[in-house]
Amino acid sequence: MSWFFAPVPLGRVAALRTLAYAFVPIDLFLLTPWVLDHKDVPGDLYRPLLIGRLLHLPTPSYWLVVGVCVALTACALVAATGRAPRLLGVAVFVLYFEWMIVAMSYGKVDHDRVGYLVLLAVLPTIGRARWGDTETLSERAGWAMRVTQIAVVCTYFLAAWAKLRFGGIEWLNGATLTRAVLRRGTFLSDWTVHVPYLLVAFQWFIVAFELSSPVVLFIRNERLRTFVIGGFYAFHAMVFGTITIAFWPHLVAMASFLPLERVRPIVWVRTRLQRRGWLQLRNVEVSGPRSP
Amino acid sequence: MSTTREQLSGAGKAVRLGVTVAVGGLLLAGTVVGQDDAFPFGPFRMYATTDSLDAPVKSTRMEAVDTAGRRFALRGETVGLRRAEIEGQLGRFRDDPQRLGAVATAYRNRHPDGPGLARIEIITRHLALDGGRPTGEHHDTVDVAWTPR
Repeated sequence: MSWFFAPVPLGRVAALRTLAYAFVPIDLFLLTPWVLDHKDVPGDLYRPLLIGRLLHLPTPSYWLVVGVCVALTACALVAATGRAPRLLGVAVFVLYFEWMIVAMSYGKVDHDRVGYLVLLAVLPTIGRARWGDTETLSERAGWAMRVTQIAVVCTYFLAAWAKLRFGGIEWLNGATLTRAVLRRGTFLSDWTVHVPYLLVAFQWFIVAFELSSPVVLFIRNERLRTFVIGGFYAFHAMVFGTITIAFWPHLVAMASFLPLERVRPIVWVRTRLQRRGWLQLRNVEVSGPRSP
Repeated sequence: MSTTREQLSGAGKAVRLGVTVAVGGLLLAGTVVGQDDAFPFGPFRMYATTDSLDAPVKSTRMEAVDTAGRRFALRGETVGLRRAEIEGQLGRFRDDPQRLGAVATAYRNRHPDGPGLARIEIITRHLALDGGRPTGEHHDTVDVAWTPR
């Protein structure tokens, strides 16, 4: 039980909050701009998901899609500063969820969001958190980080399960990766389809990796855990290089495993400038007129 | 360095445990019996289907002819629907090709000033495989064709 609520420094939450909310506009405008394109698609092509039918969500219209996009971007940008963490956090979660309904209701559902959705859902439960705070250890934050981590690991583990369910055990020796490379290959991967059994071996590796991923939840040593998560990121970098698919929101949620409270870009820049004497000079100028 | 600990009350812990078990249960149920329809609790079925090493790989695309007679590819950004979304609704388009009229409307919404579409085709390219390796041979079939009524 203590594992479930193992306290985490609030500085980690503050950093992850900024990362998670700053990611929203990047996601909307850079990574998945096709969601916004749905504003032009007639309602005849809208295929509501179960949740959309249960909640009687409206068929996305031009103004609904544009309105959610604008409101979500505005809320996320302010939330990234750490202001009003509960109110804005809830607003971002609700709007992002509706954005996902707009995204996934036209015949294709993506599977890279669960960790990120869980992260957005639990961030508002933590309340205020200050950047760089390594001294306040919070159980509330501990639970939020833990469930995000569990969702990230589920994405791997349950993906292996889905392969066995839909593809059967034959998936391991099938041509799924060959098909992926033929459809979306790059210069880094096009050669692999011509090497016998290379991609089949890689399919075995993927399933082994996915099935063993829950181990990372139980690594207590922080350096080792950071190292293992670095390996996870490397795996995704390789997938991106070979078939140009990256599960960006998943990669953001995975940062919940890392000691982010120690990442202080603004402090680093400030100290560096101070060391070179630039910042002090500017401070003098700024405070100059106010001094008696 | 002094550290402070913020602890959760018993009730706070109980609520969080309950929510975790409920959401985890839905996620597990989605993986065991759910379909994509159950998003966000559906199965994580990215690349979960098995492809035979000898059956051809299929690749779908859309092409259109506008009223000026120009033939071109309808990409995701051209009509606001991704290739995977067209593939996901392929069955509906096969059942009633007139449904592609909505794609023509989407094209018109995105290109209000240019000529409209006079024909849309969904074309599947079949790339031959042998032992998991492409033979270099392929042929195209037109799955669905639409012209305005």
